[in-house]
Amino acid sequence: MAERRRWGVPLLLLAPGLALLIAMFIAPLMAFMEYSFYRFRRGRLTADYNLDTYRRFLTDEYYHVIILDTLKVATLVTLIALAIGYPLAYAMWKINRPGLQRWLGLLIFSPILVSVVVRSYGWTVLLSDQGPVNWALRGLGLTDEPVTLVFNLTGVLIALAHVFLPFVVFPIFSSMTRLDPSLREAASDLGAGWWMTFRRVTLPLTLPGVVAGAQICFVLSLGAFVTPAMLGGGRVLVLPLQVYSATSEINWPVAAVGGLVLLIAALLAVLGFNRLLRYSEVR
Amino acid sequence: MSNWAIRHILLAIFTFGAIIYIVAPLAIVVLNSFSSVAYSVFPPPGFSLRWYANLFEQSAFGVAALRSVLLATLATALALVIGTMASYALVRHRPRGGELIKGLLMSPIVLPKIVLGVALFMFFVRIGLINTQISLLLAHTLVILPYVIAMLTAALMNFDWSLVEAASDLGARPLRSFRKVVLPQISTSMTIAAIFAWITSFDQVESTIFLVRAGTTTLPIEMFLYLQKWQDPTIAALSTLLILFAILLLLGLDAMMRRKRLTLEILNRGQ
Repeated sequence: MAERRRWGVPLLLLAPGLALLIAMFIAPLMAFMEYSFYRFRRGRLTADYNLDTYRRFLTDEYYHVIILDTLKVATLVTLIALAIGYPLAYAMWKINRPGLQRWLGLLIFSPILVSVVVRSYGWTVLLSDQGPVNWALRGLGLTDEPVTLVFNLTGVLIALAHVFLPFVVFPIFSSMTRLDPSLREAASDLGAGWWMTFRRVTLPLTLPGVVAGAQICFVLSLGAFVTPAMLGGGRVLVLPLQVYSATSEINWPVAAVGGLVLLIAALLAVLGFNRLLRYSEVR
Repeated sequence: MSNWAIRHILLAIFTFGAIIYIVAPLAIVVLNSFSSVAYSVFPPPGFSLRWYANLFEQSAFGVAALRSVLLATLATALALVIGTMASYALVRHRPRGGELIKGLLMSPIVLPKIVLGVALFMFFVRIGLINTQISLLLAHTLVILPYVIAMLTAALMNFDWSLVEAASDLGARPLRSFRKVVLPQISTSMTIAAIFAWITSFDQVESTIFLVRAGTTTLPIEMFLYLQKWQDPTIAALSTLLILFAILLLLGLDAMMRRKRLTLEILNRGQ
């Protein structure tokens, strides 16, 4: 690349992107921050700057429960998605017929092509008291009473893990395809059984994929709104729902501080997982 | 039976179960759309097409669908133009602070969508530009721009720039050498970026739910709001049409992957 490092042309080319970023991202976030210092009283917003809303988030137990529930949901969803996603990526990797492998990959990917509203709606039907899951459970004689699977935490977890599953499978699969086959051959030549080879070679070397998938899943789960709104039935109050209802009630300071907490949680999660990623690659 | 066989049978059973888990919520929607009753019960007591009839009587969905298609198409076109320009500048010219600028352009991806939605709403109320179609378009463009830039900077990184130098030595102007030399090489990446960007734009709920008003909503928001009030299978009928559309897209992706010999790596868009 003989090009000299000069501004001018690159600046011209970058200008539309940067303008969009400033107008639709940086400026709105600044307005958002400003409202976090406003006062909300008797349904009215006033611009006398104060830290009351921040204080309430730090001291009021009500907000602590919401924040902890949000983290709990994201953690559980990530664990479920990994538990399903890792073996699935492994199966996809093991298939040695390219056509079959491509179709399994596209099948795993396909829910992304359908709106998250449709997928969440599908889960409300599937998990309802009169739905197929309860029908099957009754048919198998596992239960007489319908099991409540929807409009509670269970439903939210099952559906969210489904929504984010592709984001977990593909990073893991891609770390598996990068695996050097000679390492596993060497392990089995040295007399290691399947489990030993998996535990000492395959798993440690695919850990970066696991961490990358977990990162995406965790961060997306933190911000999930549609699925908890549709499957939580008002019983699962996570930060995105709290931000939504506070905004609707014109309580913008609470919405802004709640959103800020969510943003900080997402940033910390990204940084934390990045550290984990470096650590998993070094080993 | 050997351990090897047992392991592979277990893995096959697990995979089969996982496929059911992946497909079930979509399959049930299709089944439910043909149900003869308004409440959801399994198995349905009978079959009918009444929910499709009901769907086509509700013009709100048709208008919203049209708006969503238009919005997704315009936002994708805009993001491709802006994103290609930015990616080209970042990779080709490597300006000082390029990494920082790329990080900045990618940063909306980390922001929870609901935070973006609320921030945009507050900002537009503040400056008095709420409820304009242009703000909706720009919001969609912002959300999908990082995907385009990620995909195109990666494609341009692998590009052999000596070809451009050869073209300019032969007297091609920059724009012409871009069109004749660079563009053909990155067109596959651009197509894939466009598909992902379009799908992502078409599925925006929380980032724009405060920016739309009754009568000017997009399709997913219209569906979301309808489901807050009603639970009848009209939505199932509409969802079935969207699933049909997704299947067509899937067949298209499959054909493209086969023809261009692409690996499953392209579906890994989190990187």
